[in-house]
Amino acid sequence: MVLASSQGGPPVLEMVHVAKSFGGVRALVDANLTLYSGEAHALLGENGAGKSTLLKALAGVHKADAGEITLKGKPFEQGSTKDSIEQGIAVIYQEPSLFPDLTLAENVFIGRQLTNSGLVDWAAMEKASRELFNRLGVTLDPHQKARGISIADQQIVEIAKALSTDASVIVMDEPTAALSSKEVERLFTVVRNLREQGSAVVFVSHRLDEVFALCDRMTVMRDGSTVGSALISETSENEVVQLMVGREVSDLYPKLPPKIGEVVLEVHKLSLEGQFSDISFEVRAGEIFALAGLVGSGRSEVIRAIFGIDRYDSGSVTLNGKSLPTGKPAASMSAGIALVPEDRRQQGLFMASSIARNVAVTLLKKLSTWLLVRKRREESAAEQWATTLQLKFASLDDPVERLSGGNQQKVVLSKWLATEPQVLIVDEPTRGIDVGTKAEVHRLLSQKAQQGMAVVMVSSELPEVLGMADRIFVMREGTHMGTLNRDEADPEKIITLATGGVIAR
Amino acid sequence: MRAVTNLFRAREMPVFLALVVVVAIAGIANPAFLSAAGAIDILLGVAIVAILAVGQTFVIVMRHIDLSVGSLIGFTSFLIGDMYAQGYGLWGGLAAALAVGLAVGAANGFLVAYLKLPSLVVTLGALYIVRGVFNDYAFGRTITAAMVPPEVAWIGLNRLGGIPYLFLIGLSLVIISGLVMRRVKAARDLYAIGSNPAAAELAGIPVARRVFGAFVLNGAITGMAGAVMLGRFNAANANSGLALELIVIAACVVGGVTIAGGSGSVWGAFLGAILLQAITRTIGALGIPQFWQQAFNGGLIILAIAFDKYLNSRVKTTTIMGSHND
Amino acid sequence: MTKWNLTWDKGVGLFLIFAVFLGSVLSDNFANPSNLSFVLRDVTEFAIIALAMAFLIISGEIDLSVASTLNLSSASLGFLYRAGVPFEVAIVGGLLVGLACGLFNGYLVTKLGLPSLAVTIATLALYRGLSFALLGNQPVNELPEFWIGIGYGRIPGTFIPWSTILLVVLAGVAWFVLHHTRYGRWTFAIGVNAEGAKFSGIPVQRTKLMLFAMTGLMSGVAGVVYTLRFASASPDGAVGYELSIIAAVLFGGVSIAGGVGTMWGVIAAVLSLGVIRSALQLAGFTANSLLIVSGALLLISVITPKITETLRNRTRAVGKENTKKTIREVGNEKSTP
Repeated sequence: MVLASSQGGPPVLEMVHVAKSFGGVRALVDANLTLYSGEAHALLGENGAGKSTLLKALAGVHKADAGEITLKGKPFEQGSTKDSIEQGIAVIYQEPSLFPDLTLAENVFIGRQLTNSGLVDWAAMEKASRELFNRLGVTLDPHQKARGISIADQQIVEIAKALSTDASVIVMDEPTAALSSKEVERLFTVVRNLREQGSAVVFVSHRLDEVFALCDRMTVMRDGSTVGSALISETSENEVVQLMVGREVSDLYPKLPPKIGEVVLEVHKLSLEGQFSDISFEVRAGEIFALAGLVGSGRSEVIRAIFGIDRYDSGSVTLNGKSLPTGKPAASMSAGIALVPEDRRQQGLFMASSIARNVAVTLLKKLSTWLLVRKRREESAAEQWATTLQLKFASLDDPVERLSGGNQQKVVLSKWLATEPQVLIVDEPTRGIDVGTKAEVHRLLSQKAQQGMAVVMVSSELPEVLGMADRIFVMREGTHMGTLNRDEADPEKIITLATGGVIAR
Repeated sequence: MRAVTNLFRAREMPVFLALVVVVAIAGIANPAFLSAAGAIDILLGVAIVAILAVGQTFVIVMRHIDLSVGSLIGFTSFLIGDMYAQGYGLWGGLAAALAVGLAVGAANGFLVAYLKLPSLVVTLGALYIVRGVFNDYAFGRTITAAMVPPEVAWIGLNRLGGIPYLFLIGLSLVIISGLVMRRVKAARDLYAIGSNPAAAELAGIPVARRVFGAFVLNGAITGMAGAVMLGRFNAANANSGLALELIVIAACVVGGVTIAGGSGSVWGAFLGAILLQAITRTIGALGIPQFWQQAFNGGLIILAIAFDKYLNSRVKTTTIMGSHND
Repeated sequence: MTKWNLTWDKGVGLFLIFAVFLGSVLSDNFANPSNLSFVLRDVTEFAIIALAMAFLIISGEIDLSVASTLNLSSASLGFLYRAGVPFEVAIVGGLLVGLACGLFNGYLVTKLGLPSLAVTIATLALYRGLSFALLGNQPVNELPEFWIGIGYGRIPGTFIPWSTILLVVLAGVAWFVLHHTRYGRWTFAIGVNAEGAKFSGIPVQRTKLMLFAMTGLMSGVAGVVYTLRFASASPDGAVGYELSIIAAVLFGGVSIAGGVGTMWGVIAAVLSLGVIRSALQLAGFTANSLLIVSGALLLISVITPKITETLRNRTRAVGKENTKKTIREVGNEKSTP
């Protein structure tokens, strides 16, 4: 790979001393980013570091308050999204948003349909998009509607859209989060193609292994400012993590000695067509049982089926010997299962409602006498848990959307721990949370386990899995690949299983 | 070959087939139905709904709705006759109708597009207010045949090659709108806005401007359609157009213009209007009392919506297993 | 319940008082007992349905078929009675028909997953059509004296109609359930975030089905009251009522987006509309002015929250110049208890 920078060429994009505030919150303080054409550039940083805000300023979603942006040597006009597109910026968001009712061809050319004497020229658009798909090495039918195609294919369409706008800078925001391993490979090939054709690709990701495999240079942000930038070849994962976190990462996984008891949860040959098949495992009281694997391996689907959000096709779920009906979350709850879901905002909380209401929503029966809900009991329950979990808030009546990510997660944990479950299922418990709260959450889970709770944890973060789990159940594309005990587990073994290999014993 | 299979898969095919079936049933039950007189009867009845359905399609496709059209067309049909009777002539009346249509459309459009209020509520309020203002303006008067401009009356009564002019007006509007919806960039934006409103903003589409424009356009079409209504009935009063919006929306939904937005065509809405009218006549042809009319319309809309949902749900969402096969 | 909504609540209450004041000013006949009795009676059917509609809209759904359901219940009552069924049984029949209409709506929305707006536009036509099918063009006008007396009469010695007692009882129950039971909490939760409600163990579909059924039943109750009041069951009664009901519910502070609202606000709004209608009529305005007023109130009830929201966002941005912090700091700041 040849970088313009190594030949002394000018950067295609320079963002210097960019600052942006929302109300009283400074999202960007002193952000800097330099891009050269023909490179894949990783933008790293924890949640809340300012990566999204910086890129949104580039995308035209909002305007930076201060700083200079230069694109291809000329000052960049901050305006609307259309202005950014016209100047050659293309952004592919984590959730690609296509228009499901329109054809792929029209999606590629949306807002800029090809015309022939003023009228839309469908044949030309179909031909052009077919060519673009070929150039990317993918077979997609431009004539089909976008509804129902996989996320990976949606990304390809977005990339084709970017190419059709002659974008000089293509930004990809967490593109691999929802892809299977095969699809990730395909994406990497596409990105390498783009690089060779001279585009500059900004790759935002939390997966350091991917970043180190694909990218040429990287920039690390922290607390709204850029704290470092280097060639990938000249740095290491550890250095990058240090930069991202800003301090020594010690004792992130406080694990207490486990007291493991009887089997409480039995999952037997659980299957759901298209999602997972033949999943069986047992979880004992006091144990932390982790479901590991790449994103998209079906783990969240399995636990949703166990809890009853989705119905499964065959198999059984048993708690303390009693079989649980499928598709009834309320039944699972009363039996003693709790689920802290993956999507905090959409599934775990009522953002506009108060902290008290959020904590109480799972406890309503307990908090009532006959039909009457006792308000005072509601408030005291919320207070009690807020203290126990050291929640940082102004008033229990405040809407939870005002809390930070870590505190929001604490509210979700409160509402479920308050139901005194026997089995606590947590899906990505520390995603998008600052380091300090991460440690608190881990400590809490460990405590609960020691007190006899069975904890089932889905996590895509290897260090978390290795640090917390007693047993690790590895899945890949809906099937069980192997189970590891705490003492025999290490990163290589987990990744091998998660990517379809076999461990030599 | 691809063209033929695509034709069969078109959204509009179910409506078309339903229409064929209904006509067949009616024709078997009562052969007079299939006569020229029977057909003309249907075509006459279709004209108003078809025109309004075209305008409504622009709105529904964006995932909005306009409930004020019944009140508006009643008002403008009355207005045209009234202006003529007061000496402003045909053009005075038409100008007034257009002005009122544009004003209502602009008001609706402004509240929905720029203040971002829900179109259901806004046009519901407009339905009330327009009907109220209309009632005050009409104040118990009626427009009689003598007050209808002769040109309007003439168009209402006459035919070209056996086909009523009123229907031809509707058909021309459908043809032109069909082309526009398919080949004009700004119209394609309407589909995008309905299909994924958030993405439309990000894609640089001027959403507010398009939404505003669609409501204004619908207002203008509805306003001018007052002339068609006046020509059809040769009369107008404070009850003109009452509850018409529901029939119009029914025609759209039945014709494949889904309430969820993003898809459907004016051709479908047109076929939907014809289908509803055909069913009305069929009920008569089969000797069933008119009373069942509304019930049938209601049942039909439910079937159309359910079928629409079924079509949409058959497309699979992302699967995890088996993705390693690609 | 946000603080804003409580303010709206008080606002409607004040509006009601203002409306009564306006009425008395506009006409001397306003405040006399027989007119007040008329207002209460006039408002009863709207109010009964509005109680259930409030629940439904708070949960994020809507039902445009309520007037047709009211009418179908009324028509069924008349039909059964004309066919020789004892009146009391016919009343029960009418109520059951209302319940069935609601259940059908609920089934279409929860089991088939169809959008409630579109579906209830359809059942609006369907149910009205069935009323015509039942009664043809012949209204049923021969109803038992005793029941008509209840429908039209007042508690002896007061100006309060019998039907108002029913309304007060139902309103009390509705208020209690919405604000003080877990079913009310469920309704709000579903309206704020249906997916989150499901993940919290709330039976979303079952609750929505119940809400539609209740709306149908209340429409049936309103249908019986309507029949008794007008001493007639006819196929074309209560045309257009649904719009006034929705206007009242929204004006009462229930957000069309769901998740927000109070029962007291709804009751005050319905009463206000009744008062305004009466005041306008007595002052010589045409009945049609009410249409304009309803429409205007509807628009006001949706425009106002938007305006205050925009104003609030602007002041929040402007007032904090001196306290800039980064996101991380804001998160840690809330540690002082």
